[in-house]
Amino acid sequence: MIAMDCAQPLAPRQNLTKVFRFPIFFGLRPSAFGFILLLLKPFLASAQAPPQLPPGGLMQLQVPQPSVDLSSPVSAVAAFDPPSVHVGEKTYYRVTIDATESSIQWPDAISAPAGLEFGPKISGQITQMLMNQFRPHASFVYEVKPRAEGHFTVAPFRVDVSGTPVDIPAASLDVVPPSDRTAAARQLRLEISQTNVFLGQPFRARVILPGGPNNEIEALREIEFRGDGLMVDKIVLQQAIEPLNLDGQLKMALVSEMTVTPIAAGPLKFAAQGFAAGREFTAPISIHGQVNFFGGMPRYVLLVSDPVEIHVRPLPVDGELPGFTGAIGRFFQDPPHLATNRVHVGEPVSLTVAFHGEGDLTRFVPPAARRSRDWQIIADPPPATGFTLIPLADDMRETPAIPFSYFDPDTARYEDLTIPPLPVTIVGEGLPVELPPLDNAGKTEAPLKLSAAAPAPGKTVSGLKPLQLRLWFAGVQLVPVLAFLALWQWDRRRRFLEAHPEIVRRAQARRALRREKRQLQAAVGAGDAVAFIHHAARAMTIAVAPHFPANPRALVCGDVLAQLAATGQNGPAADTVKSVFAAVDARFAVTPTRPPDWLALRPGVESVLQTLEEKL
Amino acid sequence: MNPKCKVVSSNRLRTGLAICLALAVLAGPASPSRAATNDLFARGLELSRAGQFPEAAAAFGTLARTQPSAGTLVNLGLAEWQRGRAGAAILAWEQARWIDPFDPRAGSNLKFARQVAQVDEPQLKWFEAVSACLPPNAWVWLTGAMLWLGVGLLVLPGIFRRRMAGWHQFLAALAFGIFLFSLTANFGVVSRTEIGFVLKKNASLRLTPTQNGEIVSTLAAGEPARQLRTRGHYLFIRTLGGAGWVEQNEFGLLCP
Repeated sequence: MIAMDCAQPLAPRQNLTKVFRFPIFFGLRPSAFGFILLLLKPFLASAQAPPQLPPGGLMQLQVPQPSVDLSSPVSAVAAFDPPSVHVGEKTYYRVTIDATESSIQWPDAISAPAGLEFGPKISGQITQMLMNQFRPHASFVYEVKPRAEGHFTVAPFRVDVSGTPVDIPAASLDVVPPSDRTAAARQLRLEISQTNVFLGQPFRARVILPGGPNNEIEALREIEFRGDGLMVDKIVLQQAIEPLNLDGQLKMALVSEMTVTPIAAGPLKFAAQGFAAGREFTAPISIHGQVNFFGGMPRYVLLVSDPVEIHVRPLPVDGELPGFTGAIGRFFQDPPHLATNRVHVGEPVSLTVAFHGEGDLTRFVPPAARRSRDWQIIADPPPATGFTLIPLADDMRETPAIPFSYFDPDTARYEDLTIPPLPVTIVGEGLPVELPPLDNAGKTEAPLKLSAAAPAPGKTVSGLKPLQLRLWFAGVQLVPVLAFLALWQWDRRRRFLEAHPEIVRRAQARRALRREKRQLQAAVGAGDAVAFIHHAARAMTIAVAPHFPANPRALVCGDVLAQLAATGQNGPAADTVKSVFAAVDARFAVTPTRPPDWLALRPGVESVLQTLEEKL
Repeated sequence: MNPKCKVVSSNRLRTGLAICLALAVLAGPASPSRAATNDLFARGLELSRAGQFPEAAAAFGTLARTQPSAGTLVNLGLAEWQRGRAGAAILAWEQARWIDPFDPRAGSNLKFARQVAQVDEPQLKWFEAVSACLPPNAWVWLTGAMLWLGVGLLVLPGIFRRRMAGWHQFLAALAFGIFLFSLTANFGVVSRTEIGFVLKKNASLRLTPTQNGEIVSTLAAGEPARQLRTRGHYLFIRTLGGAGWVEQNEFGLLCP
């Protein structure tokens, strides 16, 4: 399947399937040589992408064709067209001989009269169907420009036709003064869609045959382009009769449009030629407007056009993308379609890809099948653009990407149009799930069939990599090591403290002293003098207890005084200690007296406690 | 009831609730994952029953990569076998047995597959055979536990000023014995990680790690081999028949 269309400046979008019908019409009424050539042209002119031969095309080649009339006497006609021109105007010297072109020994130069400037020789050949034979007509045309006024005659001369001399009659030209009226030379017009193209970029060429007097339209046959470096695609010839503005006048004209592809770089100059052939239209023609067709027997007149020049640039080498097959223009791709998304190994599946484009698609070369280890890729025969894919293994999840790119002449860049991979499920060859029971049952321990599926995930792990190879597990092993180290350190410390109990006592005394000092501060804050004195005395006994060592409750004022420095034993510190203990002892008096202001002892108590704590 | 007892009971209740809450919080994030796992597993089972084995293999394969389990791998092997991939099936069943050596389905299917495919079991050394008796992770936990049990039994009585009893010494000796024995099993586990299986049918065993390397022999799907080294996309393996290079995608390791 193929879906191609093209849209160009000169022609609307067209479907290629219509184009391929053309050779059938094209080969209906030509002469024998032309018929054969026309049938062969699709093959001769399509070396890159051979177009499809219409059904029965080969059969037509095998049918006996009418013979070519080579026995009739050969006649020749020579004339200037137009016969009367002004100086510098163009006219054509035309000689027509009823023979094949190859049989005529045409002289390299003809004796032109002085005052006439002859251009290069232009020749062509056409065949005419007469009764049951083809009659060949060869035509030789020279473009002539007179340099002076006067009457000029090309003298008769003789040419050799298949060994027989044939006389070419004389032809006369009148070069008249500018005041006299003359007719314009009848010629073709050539229009091209682009003059600046890339090598291989197809463009459209229109060969226009303006209508004659009374807008009479003639057919145009054997259209050719003269010039090197061009490939003309006549398969997609389109003909139409339409009104055109020619030299400021709206005239009906036969327009033959075809595709031309430059195959050489640089400036290229070419012109069109063709035979005006009366009513012998050989292709479908669309007619726009009122038309008068030429009546009577056709007069085969070889017409030529003025040359046109194009500039052909080579394609850039840099930036060429994979899959470039020479497609030039602007192309688009429909999403590829796979015939099925489930295929067995070795089973072909069709991948359909449709390309659209604004360029000429008649020479569109589809993407080439690339080589793949897992797929056999077979490109459909051109002009189809699909592929047949055969999976060779079952571990692929998608079809292979098929690279394709084209060159966009507008941006002068290669554009990627790779056919993307499509998801596909490939089913392999099945394996047996059950074995037939063996006669020597019991000799093998292997079961005879596969087990049923597991109903639940069962034992789950975080990963198949064993813990032995995981780094974090080595870190986990440090935890018990650290635990044992901590235990060992703890045991050492315990043994040390057991050997040095004074350290424990002093630490305990420091903790108890801090506790008593906090309570002392609380009593001062509350203004509780009794509690203050009580905590002060207790703090002092706690601070000196480790030095004896003794229980703090068993210590008295003298024990505290004994721990003061020698200088302090008779100083204010000793007085403070004595006052504190005296106040404590006053609680046990028979007749309690009103307590003095014990809180005034606070500075002295703090000083004594600081001294004792430093010693602790 | 004694008020003190009531207070103690209340505290225990509160502690219990806190522990339960913490466990619930810890277990909470795993629940969606577990649900997704179960969904994927159920989907794989459904596809298998419907005969869509490639799709089932894809589902089980995805699950096996994210959360390997013995059941998933058994089913993956079945799906692979049904779609004709004997190598992948044998590998999956071996991995299932790696996770759970006591899985009867994996063992039975491996025997069946090897009989059909005519391939051998991997040749295990004695310590590798020992390591196959328990899951690989069990060995390493056993080793650690025995080591520290032995050390603890020798060290802790001294630290805690207990007299070392005879049963302490007996247990310590037993623990160290098991520790030494399990060391070899752990070595076997590490050694078994080099074992792999040929995935593709008629995989080429090449002399050199290149596309154009001379083919030494062709390997059957499911044939066991040991990976010795890697170079680019090629693995140097040793099979029962010889050594050579295979492409990475043609060989699957037991522990990828």
